[in-house]
Amino acid sequence: MAILGVVGMIIPIISIARKERGSVTFYAAIAFAALFISLVFVLSQVWSENISPAAIFSDDVLVDDTFGSLFAIAMLIVSIFTVIGSLNYIRKQANPAIYFSLILLSSIGMVLVAYSTDLVMLFVAWELMSLPTYILAGFAKKNPASNEAALKYFLFGALSSAIIIYGISLAYGVTGSTNIGEVIQGFATADASLMPLALLSVGLFIAGFGFKMGLVPFHMWLPDTYEGAPTPITTLLAAGTKKAGFAAALRIIVMGAVALNLDWTAALGVIAVMTMIVGNIAAIMQKNLTRMLAYSSIGHAGYILIGLAIAPYTSLGIQGSLLHILNHAVMKGAAFIAATGIIIVLATTHLDKIKGLGRRMPITSLGLVISLFALAGIPPLNGFWSKLILFGAAIDSGSVIWWGPWLAIAGVLTSALSLAYYGWITRKMYFEGEKEKRVKEPKSIIAVMIFAIIFIVGFGVYPEPLIHFAETAVPALNSGLIP
Amino acid sequence: MVSIDTVASDPNGIYVWLIWLLPFIGALIIPGVVRISKYVPGLTTGRVAIAFAAMSAVSAGSLFLGALDGIEIHDQITWISALGLKAGVLADPLSIIMANVVGWISFLIICYSTGYMKGDKDITRFWFWMMFFIGSMQLIVLSDNLLQIFFGWEGVGLASYALISFWYRDKAKDHVGKEGRTALGIMEYYSPTHSGMKAFIMTKVGDIMMLAGMFMIFAFAGTFGLKELLYETSWAVEMSAQSLLVPAAVLLFGGAVGKSAQFPLNEWLLEAMTGPTAVSALIHAATMVKAGVFLVARLGPLFFALGAAGIMADQFFEIIAWVGAITALLLATQGMVNPEIKKVLAYSTGSQIGYMMMALGVAGLSTQYVDGYTAGFFHLISHAMFKASLFMAAGSLLHVVGSRFMTDMGGLRKQMRKTYAFMWAAGLALMGAPFITTGFWSKDAIFAAVYESGSGWALPIFIIAVLTAVITAFYTTRMIGMVFFGKNSKHIEKMESEGHHIHEAPLSMWIPYGILAVLTIGIGVIGLSAEEGIHHLFTDYLEESFGIHTPHIDLEHSETLGFLSGLNPVALGSSLVAFSVGFGLGYIFYIGRWIDPAKFINSNIFFYALHKLILNRYYLNSMIYWSFVIAPLWLARGLYRYFERTAIDTGMNIGFERAIGWGAKVVQGTQTGVAQSYLYVFGAGVLFVVLILFI
Repeated sequence: MAILGVVGMIIPIISIARKERGSVTFYAAIAFAALFISLVFVLSQVWSENISPAAIFSDDVLVDDTFGSLFAIAMLIVSIFTVIGSLNYIRKQANPAIYFSLILLSSIGMVLVAYSTDLVMLFVAWELMSLPTYILAGFAKKNPASNEAALKYFLFGALSSAIIIYGISLAYGVTGSTNIGEVIQGFATADASLMPLALLSVGLFIAGFGFKMGLVPFHMWLPDTYEGAPTPITTLLAAGTKKAGFAAALRIIVMGAVALNLDWTAALGVIAVMTMIVGNIAAIMQKNLTRMLAYSSIGHAGYILIGLAIAPYTSLGIQGSLLHILNHAVMKGAAFIAATGIIIVLATTHLDKIKGLGRRMPITSLGLVISLFALAGIPPLNGFWSKLILFGAAIDSGSVIWWGPWLAIAGVLTSALSLAYYGWITRKMYFEGEKEKRVKEPKSIIAVMIFAIIFIVGFGVYPEPLIHFAETAVPALNSGLIP
Repeated sequence: MVSIDTVASDPNGIYVWLIWLLPFIGALIIPGVVRISKYVPGLTTGRVAIAFAAMSAVSAGSLFLGALDGIEIHDQITWISALGLKAGVLADPLSIIMANVVGWISFLIICYSTGYMKGDKDITRFWFWMMFFIGSMQLIVLSDNLLQIFFGWEGVGLASYALISFWYRDKAKDHVGKEGRTALGIMEYYSPTHSGMKAFIMTKVGDIMMLAGMFMIFAFAGTFGLKELLYETSWAVEMSAQSLLVPAAVLLFGGAVGKSAQFPLNEWLLEAMTGPTAVSALIHAATMVKAGVFLVARLGPLFFALGAAGIMADQFFEIIAWVGAITALLLATQGMVNPEIKKVLAYSTGSQIGYMMMALGVAGLSTQYVDGYTAGFFHLISHAMFKASLFMAAGSLLHVVGSRFMTDMGGLRKQMRKTYAFMWAAGLALMGAPFITTGFWSKDAIFAAVYESGSGWALPIFIIAVLTAVITAFYTTRMIGMVFFGKNSKHIEKMESEGHHIHEAPLSMWIPYGILAVLTIGIGVIGLSAEEGIHHLFTDYLEESFGIHTPHIDLEHSETLGFLSGLNPVALGSSLVAFSVGFGLGYIFYIGRWIDPAKFINSNIFFYALHKLILNRYYLNSMIYWSFVIAPLWLARGLYRYFERTAIDTGMNIGFERAIGWGAKVVQGTQTGVAQSYLYVFGAGVLFVVLILFI
């Protein structure tokens, strides 16, 4: 729990600092230091195995387990990406202190969501995570697109919060508790007449969290917001807060599904297929890199959801999802930061304008291409392994549920489709355009790119540490709920 | 012995990992070295490459004494636990000796390259790929599972592609073959880039076969590990019951056929001569082509050991033996007529590799597995030494004379005394000059193994082997005769008259091949005991690692031979005769020059036709081009014009594209940007989810 204290301490520091008129770099450095210390702390806990095994049943409202740590690591990495990526991006904006302070607050919210084992705690953390991002999405006050993004995001956010709280109240009504473990057990033993209410509660959870995860049909706000918001913030939304949705979904929905022993996973399967198809098909025709990445991130939510849908039938499912969540945070984070770099230099991410980028911005382009290929799942990059485990698990589950392998088929086909637009970007950057001169790339972007390349290629060649970590983080593995 | 679930570990494992990791690390830092070499005096990429090659060789050397005691280091790490895959190294006598051969010969070749490649402006790229090449080869040698071997295998293929087409600007001097010559309408003149692709694609045919074989075995055994496959052999029983064992083994051997340039995938080897000569030396002596032989040596005992469980894989060994025999003869004959020195050596490599395959194949057909096994592997070692030496010496000649044709050389023995002497020494080993060269002992061992194998195929293969030996002695003599004897050619006279002085190659070049030439003779003198040492070592190795017991046979047939006791008199006699006949004929034509070979060939129609057939590579290359390049291209154009442009483009392609485009439009159409409609969809979605749940 100490980790939360460390993160929490940052707020007063920032607020004191806010009274001065410090520079962007100064605030960014504070934010970076805070996030970095937290990350090191979480990592050291995992490293020394001084952490409780993944659990869903806990009497506390928060539990410091490997499951939460995995999410915390992914989220903190993304937050660090965001802070570094903002360095050059946010220079012209007013109120840098508020900007970084909000990022930190949102990060605390994300981390707390991951560690929550109580519905009320989870909801509070959820709001703590969401509210700053509404402001951040509209941070470019003079930019109408940014304002529109923020407004749409807020409308949906408000609606989904209402839906979640409704789901929580139903769950409390059925089981008499807000502790997730007790709720799930309560669901399992609930009276038959209460069953519809329990189901409705889970359905509302799917919808409410599905908004953050960007699942079809709760995704409508996502492309507009991702495109309109400042790109570093898009990184935070796409790679960070989206993961919080999965954390919550894994804790509540999936465990609920497992405990209830009901065939409601089919709902998740249907949503997963729709999400994969819509995300990838819509991405193909996009003319704007950021918007294309936004749709691609919808598609990836579908891949991750495969693991959730088949969770009751094979433990590999959740393992694959967790691995993909971790990998996706880095891949997608790096891709959006690369887009940030492109915007800083070119002021646009329109695909016609990035011709010959490979010569103009070699390191950013390389980082972008490697993360795109990793997203497409090309070996030996890290995205390949997580997709392999997800699809393999889906095929394995075919012995229990007939539609399991179809998830894998949809996944493979849409992955192939995704290569079309990833390859298209690559072609634009490397094979088109005439003799462009090399321009100076922002150092902060280069740093992120190098880290991402090392991470993606390194864990692509030797994925075992991540796979092992994801395996230990599968919740309730020990309680015998999952075969 | 290791079961599938345990992870073997060994404290000495780190040295084995280092052997193959060091060259890769060297390759990775060499581009960085270029940047800082400006500031650090004396730091050049060449020196870094030498340092890493040396470190790798030394760590291989540190295990050498252990290998003689028959140690086995098996060290694994979990690679991808979700799939049950492990990465690991396996250093047993076989792989340690191989790693030493590869390591030390590569080291010498790297030293040689600092002289040979001096002043090349793409030198960084050269070093990178050379180190990559060595690292990949060591990875093959030291891996403990097929999957990892395959990674090294592809690494070797990639590096060979990059190095064969190293001079990618395709200057006329870097081509091979003679401009304008054709065979069956196919040009016999290849640019480096073309050759690189040819090598890559032809070896890839074998690679895909190997991949298929690998996964067939994996499908039954659930593991790629060599040790694991041996530990639990129920997979073989099952495969054999479905008659899949031999096909899988032969597919694996297909990989070796491609990599080792065996018939029918032999044709890439010739064009591989477009690479810098140092690369040719590396490909032919230490890396690439030896990988195939090593694979057979690695897997052969596994399949032979299954024989003890009653699972016979005789066809597998018969195929190996015959592929080897055919290749040996086919390529040796072609070596007799080619005018380019590097091509003669390339033919000779393919032919000698054929010997090794022959021995490894025959071994499996005999009860005395270890005889053929030792003979094949011993020949690999001796060939690695003398062929590296010959190639490097040939590189010196090219370097000095500036031409790849032997007809442009001639009479060089006075101008290049050291090269002359070393080339004789290594050449004699290739010929199998009796009693003092390694080549003699290893070849003799192969003869004996084939002759004594007791297989039904023993006699025809033996005759091919002896015939090949005659031809080998002949073409080697021819090569040395054409290069060093007679008068200087017009080309050289012209060079001298233009003021180029023909002189010995620089120190950094002749030292490496000198060392190897001297070693060839040096080890040759004690060749018999060296062979017996390896024989003894492998007997124990096969017994302990594979449970292949070698029945002790009392060798009685040697009262008259005195110190040569233990040798088979038929084999010994044959190799003596083969050497003398081949050398004698070569002497008559090319050293004594009593008969003009050109006149002799034209003297009668039979010789003329034969010469033409052989010179045109038995039309094999042309047929490959016609059937696998020209015909498919022609077919492809037809398909493109009459099928793709009509059926696919208008129907399928446009249809599919429109469907996707339409789908995208629909999705985008919902994306109106109007928040109200978004919220409406959201609400509908909630309803949808709840409905699904209740159904």
